[in-house]
Amino acid sequence: MAGDALIERHLAALARQLPAAAVDELADGLVETYEHHLACGLDRVAAAEAAVAEFGDPAQIIASFSRQAPGRRAAITLLATGPVFAVCWGPSLILGHAWVWPIPTTATVLFGLALLGVVATLVIAATSRHDYHRTRLAAPGGIGLVLLDTAALAAVLFAAPALVWPMAIAIPVSLARIAFTVRLVPHVLAN
Amino acid sequence: MTSRHAEAQALKGHLDVLLLATLAHGPQHGYAVKEALREGSDGRFDLPTGTIYPALHRLERAALVTGTWSVVDGRRRRSYQLTAAGQKRLTTERTNWREFAVAVTSLLERTPWPATP
Repeated sequence: MAGDALIERHLAALARQLPAAAVDELADGLVETYEHHLACGLDRVAAAEAAVAEFGDPAQIIASFSRQAPGRRAAITLLATGPVFAVCWGPSLILGHAWVWPIPTTATVLFGLALLGVVATLVIAATSRHDYHRTRLAAPGGIGLVLLDTAALAAVLFAAPALVWPMAIAIPVSLARIAFTVRLVPHVLAN
Repeated sequence: MTSRHAEAQALKGHLDVLLLATLAHGPQHGYAVKEALREGSDGRFDLPTGTIYPALHRLERAALVTGTWSVVDGRRRRSYQLTAAGQKRLTTERTNWREFAVAVTSLLERTPWPATP
């Protein structure tokens, strides 16, 4: 029936972007609206058109969900840790004379490129206001951040000739971000 | 800016507390919340139903409401009810609003001072 097909199309548009639980909830609301209009005496097509109009445009609903998506908030939080890390690790690398550590140039360049990639991924997730899929990029971004943090800690432990006092702050901060991000990523993937 | 648009913008700032108020008398699902908002405002606050759900999710993340699933007519339905924190927030917001409304009403309805010559 044309009315039911219109409802199905509307839900399919929402299901292409939003998590299954949210779509179930929206489906209940849309069908309830549809049944309300049927009960008011409209035919199936008119009731479906009225329900869809009353429910709101899928793009508008997806945008409302995207703006507060767990992935978007996770990406914003992880990006906000950047300046803290710069403050913690900057003095450590300078006082520890990081430029003389026995680390191959290729590894340093790869680390820098990977860092840029992770930041770009998180920025895309954090600035996504209309595309729910893009907010989920926070998950790969978070995994990348964990790998980079782990690599940085390994470099300090195995390549630094001596530990300097700012590392007493920087290392626990890195470990805390790893633990925080490991807990955050499954939450982003599940939503 | 049209008065309708201005009203929608003003509503945005108060949506959370209005949603909490609709849940004050017991658990409701999204469509019922939307209808309560529309009927309680004599049709002035008639939001697109779909936009109610993200707002309810935001309140749930803030631990002001809690949602539970049930099955009605073969469909999964999520209903929301106030938490203790939500009830407390609603009480605080009600008090703030009353004080604000009294102050604004007092200013708007005060007999004007004589004009300065």
